[in-house]
Amino acid sequence: MAAALVAAAPLSAALRVVTTTTDLAALVAAVGGDLVTVESIVPAGADPEAFAPRPGDLGKLRQAVLLVRVGLGYDYWLDALVNQTGEKRLMRGGDAYLDASAGIPLLELRGQSVVNEGGHAHGVANPHYWLDPESAIIVTAGIAEALVRIAPGRRDTILANRQRFLSDLETRRARWSRTLAPLVGVKLIAYHNSWPYFARRFRLDVIGFIEPRAGVAPSPAHLARLISAGRKAGVRAILLEPYEPEDASRFVAQRLGVPLVRLAISVGSLAGTDDYLALFDHNVAALASALGARSP
Amino acid sequence: MSGMSDALAFLALPFAASVVFVLMHAYLGVHVLRRKIVFADLALAQLSALGATVAFANGYAATSAAGLGYAFLFTAMGAALLTATRGLARLVSQEAFVGIVYVVATAATILVVDRSPQGAEHVKKILVGSILTVDAADVAKFTALYAAIGLLHWLVRRPLLALSSETAPAGAIRVAVWAWDFAFFLSFGIVVTSSVVTAGVLLVFSLLIVPAVIGSIFSGKLPVVLLIAWSVGIAACAAGLAGSYALDLPTGAAMVTALAGFLLLAGLVKVLIVVGAEQRRANLRIAVNAGAAATLGALLASSVWLMINPTGDQPLLALVETATGAGPARFLGPNERETYESATRDVVRFQAEVDRLDAMEKAARYQGTPLSDDEIRRIASYQQSFNEMTRGERFVQEVLQGKARTRARWIIGVPATLIALAGLLWLTRRHWK
Repeated sequence: MAAALVAAAPLSAALRVVTTTTDLAALVAAVGGDLVTVESIVPAGADPEAFAPRPGDLGKLRQAVLLVRVGLGYDYWLDALVNQTGEKRLMRGGDAYLDASAGIPLLELRGQSVVNEGGHAHGVANPHYWLDPESAIIVTAGIAEALVRIAPGRRDTILANRQRFLSDLETRRARWSRTLAPLVGVKLIAYHNSWPYFARRFRLDVIGFIEPRAGVAPSPAHLARLISAGRKAGVRAILLEPYEPEDASRFVAQRLGVPLVRLAISVGSLAGTDDYLALFDHNVAALASALGARSP
Repeated sequence: MSGMSDALAFLALPFAASVVFVLMHAYLGVHVLRRKIVFADLALAQLSALGATVAFANGYAATSAAGLGYAFLFTAMGAALLTATRGLARLVSQEAFVGIVYVVATAATILVVDRSPQGAEHVKKILVGSILTVDAADVAKFTALYAAIGLLHWLVRRPLLALSSETAPAGAIRVAVWAWDFAFFLSFGIVVTSSVVTAGVLLVFSLLIVPAVIGSIFSGKLPVVLLIAWSVGIAACAAGLAGSYALDLPTGAAMVTALAGFLLLAGLVKVLIVVGAEQRRANLRIAVNAGAAATLGALLASSVWLMINPTGDQPLLALVETATGAGPARFLGPNERETYESATRDVVRFQAEVDRLDAMEKAARYQGTPLSDDEIRRIASYQQSFNEMTRGERFVQEVLQGKARTRARWIIGVPATLIALAGLLWLTRRHWK
């Protein structure tokens, strides 16, 4: 009797998946459905690049059957954490390790080194690829493959879940593109270089950044140049992420007479961005309403 | 011309704010210096930041009534704590308690903000502030607040100054001493609470202490100290703001550095100018000797290091090479020199290619036909190759540089060591007799 219960447990118990960010957690939830319980190490709305892991994260990692990370140096702190667990399967190349950036068409490949500069690691390529909805197709393929490997018996469910998610994504993506169509080529200034993938997909032009080097306050000469470049280019909005300071962005926005648009960089970082598709619903609507584009 | 007017438009408000800050903070700094508790401002500022953070964590904006209330409450608690430590100061230095208050308040702030998304940003903002983006309403607010507190301090200047001086009033009633102490710390706390939000802890600390120290170097009389502190403080802020604009530097950090520069200058003026002729000659001799000894010491260490490990990091040699424009070419054969120069050219060329591909991709985001994923991948792999090739050329440069330095090892190392040794021996000749 007891033996039967123990044997049955792995089938009914949900697979524990740990991700570094809420965006990957949302994608794992979309593919895994009821089969998985997923938890992000970085809480919703916190800055993953300024994140400091805590002791409880070690326990989460040890219990995980799958670990999914952003890669590209974005969650560089994960390596030290995984080393602490001493579990080979969670390390690069291990069975339970998935780098979601595999296969993504990468932008802005500077390739200096993987060493993070001042706590900020834009060494390899710009890491904000989840902000392109098309990236979700590649990322969910990797997740589905890993889950099928772990639970081969649930293959059909996993693939069906992914298919459902992708068809929903396709419908909404068409709507997002329609909403933003009048804004093709619109000039924007962002606080930090987080939007190249989003800009590529929706054909926007981010001409400059308030804080060119993360963690270093902008100099007055930089802001002056940015304002004059913004005036010349006809910048129409300043993009701001939830955890970034407002002072400098508001200053530039006031001088240019354009709105500040608060966009969610991660699932859960703003109200109403609780899953991956809602993240884009929110960002597209915020941008469209600030710039006066009508929803079709 | 337009650059000039641009700069003025940008810096007028921050300069106005820093003048207001200097007037209030330099005065309080004199008090703090006399009380020998220079870190009291950090402790109080951090406590008020903790209050603001607790309010923030409870869902109140920092500028709301509740936010200000929390900040004020914590500042008042800090003032009470600092007042209480005067009694303990007979056992241990009061500075020790001030330090403890600061560190614990900082740690508590980190614990409180840990639960909120903007935590890291909040802590950073408290440190560096954002004086560059101060607005006119803020400056007016600061002026009104500081005028009120300044007036209050003027009215009760006698007991406050007596308490700040070494000789506490003999036979003064204990309770009165405590009450005045508390009043001082409370008003002090209100000032730093308000200024830290705009200027950040680093700049506020510098504004409090540096002008007051400069004033105190030259005089013991309060009016003179204040006059010097105010004018030097304002000049340093102006220099910091101008430097920040001209050299493209973060404003707060540039102002802190400018204040420190003025302090160094004031120290030199004090020992080399504002002294008797004989003393001046003696000081000048000490300064020249110290400078020479430091230079020769660095030369000695650097040339010995070159002989021990020529291929290692050679910071002084690299500095000389950069300053004189003389690369390692002198110690390379014609072929090696050609290789080194072509590697230098290629590094520039490859990086230009990476930039060109970046610009092309960026333009295609919103112009013409969008690039397909495969085209993006191809660009990325070109960029990757150029980056690898750059790294290869850099490696070639490093190898050749190491080779050149290995050859220069004895040619430069031995004479430089001998010169440095001889110079040091000559400087210390009196001690050898």
